[in-house]
Amino acid sequence: MAVCVAVIAKENYPLYIRSIPTENELKFHYMVHTSLDVVDEKISAMGKALVDQRELYLGLLYPTEDYKVYGYVTNSKVKFVMVVDSSNTALRDNEIRSMFRKLHNSYTDVMCNPFYNPGDRIHSRAFDSMVTSMMIQVC
Amino acid sequence: MSVPDYMQCAEDHQTLLVVVQPVGIVSEENFFKIYKRISSVSQISVRDSQRVLYIRYRHHYPPENNEWGDFQTHRKVVGLITITDCFSAKDWPQTFEKFHVQKEIYGSTLYDSRLFVFGLQGEIAEQPRTDVAFYPNYEDCQTVEKRIEDFIESLFIVLESKRLDRATDKSGDKIPLLCVPFEKKDFVGLDTDSRHYKKRCQGRMRKHVGDLCLQAGMLQDSLVHYHMSVELLRSVNDFLWLGAALEGLCSASVIYHYPGGTGGETGARRFQGSSLPAEAANRHRPGAQEVLIDPGALTTNGINPDTSAEIGRAKNCLSPEDIIDKYKEAISYYSKYKNAGVIELEACVKAVRVLAIQKRSMEASEFLQNAVYINLRQLSEEEKIQRYSILSELYELIGFHRKSAFFKRVAAMQCVAPSIAEPGWRACYKLLLETLPGYSLSLDPKDFSKGTHRGWAAVQMRLLHELVYASRRMGNPALSVRHLSFLLQTMLDFLSDQEKKDVTQSLENYTCKCPGTMELLTLPGGPTLPPVPFTKLPIVRRVKLLNLPASLRPQKMKSLLGQNVSTKSPFIYSPIIAHNRGEERNKKIDFQWVQGDVCEVQLMVYNPMPFELRVENMGLLTSGVEFESLPAALSLPAESGLYPVTLVGVPQTTGTITVNGYHTTVFGVFSDCLLDNLPGVKTSGSTVEVIPALPRLQISTSLPRSAHSLQPSSGDETSTNVSVQLYNGETQQLVIKLENIGMEPLEKLEVTSKILTTKEKLYGDFLSWNLEETLAQFPLQPGKVATFVVNIKVKLDFSCQENLLQDLSDDGISVSGFPLCSPFRQVVRPRVESKPVNPPEGSKPGDPSHVKTLEAILNFKYSGGPGHVEGYYRNLSLGLHVEAEPSVFFTRVSTLPATSTRQCHLLLDVFNSTEHELTVSARGNEELILHAGECQRLQDNPPSEIPEERQSYFPLRGIWLQIGDKCEVRVKLSSRRGEASVEGLLNQLVLEHLQLAPLQWDVLVDGQPCDCEAAACRVGDPVRLEVRLTNRSPRSVGPFALTVAPFQDHQNGVHNYDLHDAVSFVGSSTFYLDAVQPAGQSACLGALLFLYTGDFFLHIRFHQDSASKDLPPSWFCLPSVHVRALEAPA
Repeated sequence: MAVCVAVIAKENYPLYIRSIPTENELKFHYMVHTSLDVVDEKISAMGKALVDQRELYLGLLYPTEDYKVYGYVTNSKVKFVMVVDSSNTALRDNEIRSMFRKLHNSYTDVMCNPFYNPGDRIHSRAFDSMVTSMMIQVC
Repeated sequence: MSVPDYMQCAEDHQTLLVVVQPVGIVSEENFFKIYKRISSVSQISVRDSQRVLYIRYRHHYPPENNEWGDFQTHRKVVGLITITDCFSAKDWPQTFEKFHVQKEIYGSTLYDSRLFVFGLQGEIAEQPRTDVAFYPNYEDCQTVEKRIEDFIESLFIVLESKRLDRATDKSGDKIPLLCVPFEKKDFVGLDTDSRHYKKRCQGRMRKHVGDLCLQAGMLQDSLVHYHMSVELLRSVNDFLWLGAALEGLCSASVIYHYPGGTGGETGARRFQGSSLPAEAANRHRPGAQEVLIDPGALTTNGINPDTSAEIGRAKNCLSPEDIIDKYKEAISYYSKYKNAGVIELEACVKAVRVLAIQKRSMEASEFLQNAVYINLRQLSEEEKIQRYSILSELYELIGFHRKSAFFKRVAAMQCVAPSIAEPGWRACYKLLLETLPGYSLSLDPKDFSKGTHRGWAAVQMRLLHELVYASRRMGNPALSVRHLSFLLQTMLDFLSDQEKKDVTQSLENYTCKCPGTMELLTLPGGPTLPPVPFTKLPIVRRVKLLNLPASLRPQKMKSLLGQNVSTKSPFIYSPIIAHNRGEERNKKIDFQWVQGDVCEVQLMVYNPMPFELRVENMGLLTSGVEFESLPAALSLPAESGLYPVTLVGVPQTTGTITVNGYHTTVFGVFSDCLLDNLPGVKTSGSTVEVIPALPRLQISTSLPRSAHSLQPSSGDETSTNVSVQLYNGETQQLVIKLENIGMEPLEKLEVTSKILTTKEKLYGDFLSWNLEETLAQFPLQPGKVATFVVNIKVKLDFSCQENLLQDLSDDGISVSGFPLCSPFRQVVRPRVESKPVNPPEGSKPGDPSHVKTLEAILNFKYSGGPGHVEGYYRNLSLGLHVEAEPSVFFTRVSTLPATSTRQCHLLLDVFNSTEHELTVSARGNEELILHAGECQRLQDNPPSEIPEERQSYFPLRGIWLQIGDKCEVRVKLSSRRGEASVEGLLNQLVLEHLQLAPLQWDVLVDGQPCDCEAAACRVGDPVRLEVRLTNRSPRSVGPFALTVAPFQDHQNGVHNYDLHDAVSFVGSSTFYLDAVQPAGQSACLGALLFLYTGDFFLHIRFHQDSASKDLPPSWFCLPSVHVRALEAPA
């Protein structure tokens, strides 16, 4: 269902990006990259809210003709961006939310790995398979 | 209406559109000069009123847009200014005709027009005309501004009259229906009398009046009219016009809230004359939000001509939030009409500008997102570029830099779309450059030197590739080389192996034509491209300045004491200055380089590329001292490990040199890599002092070079080692050639030697030389040679190979002396029993295991030239490795009494341990030929007399002195000569027994010296006994006592001392002596009375007070005196 999943570091460079139509990967790179503008905007708007009350899920960042881009930001300002086919109307906000939560949990596991240096690209098989499951899972 | 004006903003609703156009042939330069002057008059305060007129000038305006003038009056061209060249009166009618033609284009909407004629003089120019102005040329036209002002005032009069005309229309009168071009056919055949239709007409007219009021500077009036119009049009569902009315309402509110303008630069310029600062202008007007629409002001029954009640009350104005809501509403109405796409698009743009000022980026992005989807008719490529550019600009405006960059890049790609006949590579490149900040990419490699690259590598690489391609197609290979170098340098970690190959391949292709340089490249737009040094090709891990080789290292003369002591502090050490020292140590290295000598810097490099990397022209970058760098070329294998590279150069002047970095040429790109900019480089300091030139000395010797290195513990580094094999005791000359191979004269030379610690006991001088002869050849000019001779003499003690000695000697040392002779020499058998007589199997004489080595270092300290003046010298060391083989052994030592009691012959058994025949001689005796392995006895003749001075010096070692000094055994082996020393042979034990007592004894019986024969005496007669002591030593001896004990020797080993009834003493048998002075004599006198005949012996015993050990054992056993007592004659 998700066609592209990206994890973006606090300094706005990709830690992980994977998309299903691999032949046009760059398109998704551009899409996720430009979505960061909206993420930044949303974060700065949220800045005033108390940290513990902050909603991590940013909701729909922007729709394009074929896709919808959703965002999620952790408390450490690591961003998750998911691109979903806009033809898939079955996807509700709640499902997106739960997918992000799964992604966040998996990311936390990656960070718990003592051999992972924060800031490096993620090369985790467990994370990979989790992302794969999110991409092919049909609901 | 098909051409959108992307630059529109809400304020444009209050402007009057004036088109300025050239007629005939007017040079662009002149036209824009005048156009600029005309456009400076953009704001006019109308006489005798508070109102302000705003003018919008355009030099190009599509007439079809003019047709929408009724819909929104600011789209209507109300004024036309034509500029023309006319040089003769003949052309005048034609020119004037053209002006009329031009007027026709916008004729339906024009309020007024002007013609500016340049160049025409004469009577035509004289006649005053309102619509034509004549100027002699483009410079001399001061009154242009004034003319324009007049023109605008005339426009205002028309506008005002139109406004009043429309506004005062009676509600009962038939109001014409205003419509937009595409609506016209829709209304054909419509019932014009219906209430619905009337309302529509009314609403549209209200909206139109609102527009006119806004243009005429009556903001409050316009707000009222717009509100009414909204109500009217809402009731009849006239959505297009409802949208326009709402938009008008928004525009008026925006004008009210944001007097500084929303259009950016143009707005700011408009406000230049005002006292309000631009920042303040962008803020909301205080209290503006509270002003709400007064529902009472909205009358639906007809147009209320009297709007004066509302004037001064700002309650009709929309709040900033409402503005956006109304814009949204308006846009949603516009979107119902396909033909109003341009209007919708422009409304979006205007709304975005307002939102940008309100800093509501999210909503602005929604408007823009909508604008992206507004589908106009098939756009031309140019329009597409324009559209993308403006989208990019608007995104930039709301702070969406990435989105802005994305659209700018799309615009850039559009410039070179394959459908365009002449791709605009230059424009594409320019646009691409503008996208760089959006992709957080700067073209300065310094920004990437800090740690690992953190950025969106995929998109950045793409952009760099596009820059490379665009610059290549632009025909600027230098730029593409620069960009490609940058790509390779900064994105190296993100390139796959194949990409690395491709990038370097294309880089090499480009650099064939245009090599990469280290110069700043200035782009046409003004920014500069900093050079890209390839600090990662190869990667340098460590930089180490190397000291000169030990033999060339300069050293400071110690003579100037206190130079090293810091003058800053009276303390030798203080923790406060320790900090400074640490810093200095980091920077400066504590060795020196020498001017004119090749100096080296070692780099540890590695190649990160998956293929062989050829680095050419690699050299050092230095500062402080003129430095001749000798570049090197190297080829690093693929993915090599750390690889040492030594860069060399010659400092040409003196001073402090700093190694700043290195330069390379890789793939045809020159790079200057500064160490400061390199991440992760270990350096042990990069500053070193260069001292003045010193000469260089090269030495060559007569001896063969040695492969041996000296003992590792030696500590000194030697440049050359020579080795020689010598027999023990041999002397050899070592001739050393000193050649000055430097450029400076060699003025001073000092030679010292150091014998490396050896366990061997060494006798005599190992090395000796005479420096004067060599120094006589100084100063040594460059290229000249001097010789220096060193004598090597090996005298080692091989006797410690005791087993050999013991083996060969039968009975140790046999010292045979005369029994009554003084001194008495005892037969000694030193330690024969204590040592097992079993020599190891391998220890045959001449065996290599017996070879002993001696090592020494000859140090040549030399100096000269300017370096000498500065107090520096150089030290050259020559290692000397000597292997000493045993030559002859003294296997046995024995003595023979000589003629004098104080002298003896020394007999030495000499053993030739070599494999050659030897000739041995001892002090003038005839030569003795010794065959290999042979042993013979050699006699050493004592000298006639012991030299006095020696005696006095070593009082107890008379014989030893003779041996030590005089007993030189000369050994000859073919042409080689040497001396064998007995020093080691005569060990302490032997010597003790060869020592001579300090006192000389003379025993006189009856006045006759009793030397050898038995003295005869008669029984019953007293026999005089005198012991005379002569002190031969330099110090006094005593006190001591002598006891004379007579005894009889029974010849069977029994000595009978019990002779009290046979011998009687006259006087005492014991003599006490206090002291015997040096060279003095002392005598003990006594007498003996023998009562019976017989052979008697007298044993003289010696007693000392303290049993001090400084007297040799021979003292305690003084000789016996033999007395034969005979029958007294009858």
